[in-house]
Amino acid sequence: MMAGMLRRLPKSVVSLKWYQNSVSAYSSDALKQKEAPIVDNSVILDDKEMKEREKLTHLVNLPKEKTLASINGVPEEHVKDRRVRIFIPAKNAMQSGTNNLNTWRIEFDNRERWENPLMGWSSSADPLSNMSGVVEFNTKEEAINHCEKNGWKWLVSSEERKKKERVKNYGVNFSWDKRTRVSTK
Amino acid sequence: MAAKEPVKRVIQQVRPILSLDRDEARRRVLNLYKAWYRTIPFIVDKFDIPKSEEQCKSKLREMFLRHKEVSDVRVIDMLVIKGQMELKECTKQWKQKGHVMNYWQETVEPKPADFLSKFMSGQN
Repeated sequence: MMAGMLRRLPKSVVSLKWYQNSVSAYSSDALKQKEAPIVDNSVILDDKEMKEREKLTHLVNLPKEKTLASINGVPEEHVKDRRVRIFIPAKNAMQSGTNNLNTWRIEFDNRERWENPLMGWSSSADPLSNMSGVVEFNTKEEAINHCEKNGWKWLVSSEERKKKERVKNYGVNFSWDKRTRVSTK
Repeated sequence: MAAKEPVKRVIQQVRPILSLDRDEARRRVLNLYKAWYRTIPFIVDKFDIPKSEEQCKSKLREMFLRHKEVSDVRVIDMLVIKGQMELKECTKQWKQKGHVMNYWQETVEPKPADFLSKFMSGQN
């Protein structure tokens, strides 16, 4: 009997504490508050539950999976069968600028397209076709990581282009014996 | 053209989802498997699907073995959570007969594998 009382005692204290906690949170003029008060529910958790929560707040060392394809909800046909080409867009052969050639892009294999019988526009059932050539990456490695993460097969089909270094010196432009009139491209 | 080289698996500091190590994750997976296994007779009975318990059990095994390559504890946890949600959808009958039958993919036509059938279907 006594033992039972003792065992029950802390629990009642805990529930009382929780009650006071929630009452104090709500009682201070509820009409003037703009948001619902945060009630600390942790006092009503039992020891085991507290330990579980405590455990999950710490960082642990774990090997990281390279692909998240199994949990990201993408249908299997768009993970296993897709092939991605990683490339830098080619330079326009005319006099356009080169500022758009600095980023890496990804491009998917083409899927079936057909002429829509209603308006004659082209249709496709491929949800990834709109990502082709649009998503930009700063480096090749970023693009590769993105593909690995999504579980796609990939291939890199461009070389990294280094910009030709040249002396940027105004006076050099006027020298008579140097071939300084070069293209900016 | 660069050949495809595998990305190295790195160990990094992460916040766990449910389990701290592989053993704990494994226990959760086994628990989920057992829970599904015990529910199968009720699923067959309640949903009135044209499958026997043996067929359901082999499908259950297949669905679990589909992810046998997964090694990340957090991914395993996430899969367990998703499996738990599906189990609840089955037991509470939030799913309907068609949703349960979706596991067998009977309405999906298998993709052509050999050259001639690929040619006939216009794929390459």
